[in-house]
This record gives sequence, C-alpha cells and structure tokens, in this order.
Amino acid sequence: MRNDNRGPWYLITGLVVGIIIGVLVAWVVQPVNYTNTNPASLRADYKDQYRAMIAAAYLANGDLVRAKDRLKQLKDEDPYRTLAEQAQRTLAEGTFPQDARALGMLAIALGQPPATASLPSVAPQGITASPEISATISSGVTVTTTISTAVATLTPTRPASTLAPTFTPLPTRTATPTQGAPFIVEEQELVCDPNIKEPLIQVLMLDAARQEVSGVELVVNWDGGENSFFTGLKPELGAGYADFSMTPGVVYSLRLRSGGQPVSNLSATECESSDGSRYYGTWRLVFIQP
Amino acid sequence: MWHNSKDMSRWFRFFIAIGLGVALGLIYGWLINPVEFVDVTPGTLRVDYKSDYVLMVAEAYRAEQDAAMAARRLSVLGNNTPLEIVRAAILFAEDPQNFGDKLAYPDADLETMRLLEAALEAWNPIVETPPP
Repeated sequence: MRNDNRGPWYLITGLVVGIIIGVLVAWVVQPVNYTNTNPASLRADYKDQYRAMIAAAYLANGDLVRAKDRLKQLKDEDPYRTLAEQAQRTLAEGTFPQDARALGMLAIALGQPPATASLPSVAPQGITASPEISATISSGVTVTTTISTAVATLTPTRPASTLAPTFTPLPTRTATPTQGAPFIVEEQELVCDPNIKEPLIQVLMLDAARQEVSGVELVVNWDGGENSFFTGLKPELGAGYADFSMTPGVVYSLRLRSGGQPVSNLSATECESSDGSRYYGTWRLVFIQP
Repeated sequence: MWHNSKDMSRWFRFFIAIGLGVALGLIYGWLINPVEFVDVTPGTLRVDYKSDYVLMVAEAYRAEQDAAMAARRLSVLGNNTPLEIVRAAILFAEDPQNFGDKLAYPDADLETMRLLEAALEAWNPIVETPPP
C-alpha cells in the first residue's frame, strides 16, 4: 500500500540515470578517439597547410590531375577561389613566398573562374574593389619569379600516380601568357569611385581576341622598392584582373615582367565628390595584345 | 530484496527505463546528432592520407632539395620524427595488401619517398639551428 501512490517518477529517474550512464560512457569510459579522419575535417589552418603542400607538390611534378584529386579531398566549395585567396593571404603575410607562388600557379592552372568573375569594362562604376583583398597587395612582399620560368618548371616528370594513373597536360583555363606580341596599353584613366576606399592601380590584361589573360606577372617599381603581382588571383573580379594598393605620395611605374610598354608616373590622385569631400581615385589600365 | 511481485515489477520497469535512456542517448549521439569530425589535426588522418601527404612532401623535396623544409612540413603529422613518419608511409605504400583492387603506389612514387627518407637520414637538425 505504501508504494501505490508514488506515480511514474521512478521511470523518469531511470531514464535520467540511463542518459547519464550513456553520456559517461561516451565522454569518459569510451571517449571519441579522433583517428582515420580525412583532410576535409582538418582545422582551417591545417587545411591551408595541406593546400599549400598540394600546390608545392604540383609545382614540383606538374601533375594537375593529381593536384585536383588531392584538392577534392579537402572538399572546398570553390577550390579555385580558395587557392587564389590563400595565395593572396600568404603573399601578404610574407612568411612563405614560395608557398604563395605555388598556390598562385595552381590556382591559375586549375580551371575556369566563376562566370561572374568578369570585369565588364573600365567604366567608372564597373568595379568595387574588396578592401580586404586590396590591402593584402600593399604588403612589401616581392615575388621575383617570372611566369615564363614557372611554366617551364611545370613539366610532367612522372607518368603515373596512385591517385591519377595517367598524366593529363595542363589545361588552359583561359587565355594564358603567350609568346606572341607584347602587351600594349590600350587604356589608362583615372577613375573616381567613392566606393573604392584606397588608391589602387587596377589592371586588366586582354589577348588579341579580348579574352582576359590570367597568370601575367606585373612589376611595380617605386623609389627604393619593387613588388610584383599576378592577374587571375582574384577570380571574383576576373581572370585578367589584378590590382595594387598605392601609398599616397609615392610615384610608381608599372610594367610586365615579360617586357613591353611600361607605364610611369602613377600616383595616388585625389578626386572630389559632389559634396566637396575628397578621396583617392583609381588608375585603371587595360593592356592588350595587338 | 523485493517484498512482493509489485516491487519486483517496479524495479524491472526502472531498469527498463534505464535501458531506454541509454538507447535514447545512443540514438541521439549516433543518428540524430552524430559526431562530426571538425578541426582535427593532421596527426589523426587516416594512414593513406598521411602517406599521400608524405608523398607530397617528397615530391616537393625532390624539386627543392631542402631537407629542413621537408622536416618542417612533416612535423604536422604527429610527434614522431620526420624520418619515422616517412618510413611508416613507405611501409604502407610498399604493401600491396593495403590497396586491394586499387592501384598501388607506382615505383616512381616509392622512389621519390625513399629519396626523402635518405635525405632525412643524412639531415642533422642541430646543424641547421641558429645559435642563440
């Protein structure tokens, strides 16, 4: 009689005890052991390291099929963009310029950029540069290796691999630097766009068919310094696009590493908005192969 | 222990409830909200991924000839020495039983990894450490 009115509480108690036992087993007695994981589960910085390793191996062996297979294991949403952004970050950090170059070369070789990644024109309202990306360009890192040298290095050396039994020659994702006629400056203009927060040199490289050309190395010189950057590392702005952040008061000259017509006297120039406020304009340069 | 069959029934149902609780916990943990492996370190990678990473390092080493750089790259794979890591990878890559029907490592890749192994055998990290 004494137990008849205790209700179902003992059942709830049993459930709670059971759950506690389950959690204890899961967390203390037999905790999760992280083994046999895959590259996609790596922490972001380790993924970067893994990606840089893929690029370094690609630069050494020229095996793009193998590099693609390896990149698939990381399950990046857009491997091309991820590589390009990491190349920019690595360049800006300046700690491992060889990694930046490898990442950039792999990004360039990888494939077509997204369809939205075109620079429609050099009209004043055409581009809103990403301040974050532009800021990375302003670092003092110097990449002196030329594209022509890099391409020469990408000779396939191994006929077969575990991940890719056959070698496939490097595909051309867009027009790439050719041995044809040198690029000439088609347009040079100062664009006043208040949406662009810092003084930039924006470059667009076009081939004779007016297709954007990626992988072109541009060299910027100023009094006491030099820097270089590549087209195609900002796929969201176009395969043939590149930019460089200027320091006010410094006069720059721009040329292609492969030679051709240099552009001098580029400096941060102020524009004035309708309300009288002043901001820096952007030099937009279009190079074309005649 | 039990005064009557009613008490026994209560204890029985109590243990059933515990079992049900454990089962619910496991269903939640394994099916509804299973463990997702995120933010893990390269040391936890499956052995074939580790071997492929070692192969990448070896491929880069072959071009760069920089044993210190290779050792730095290998260090993310765990607490073993770079040489031990490379040897473990070679052991895995050499054994055809690890691959079943899949294509095993070609000789060229094995040779590349052995080249790195030889370089690390000769590499002395103390020499490369700058004086304080």
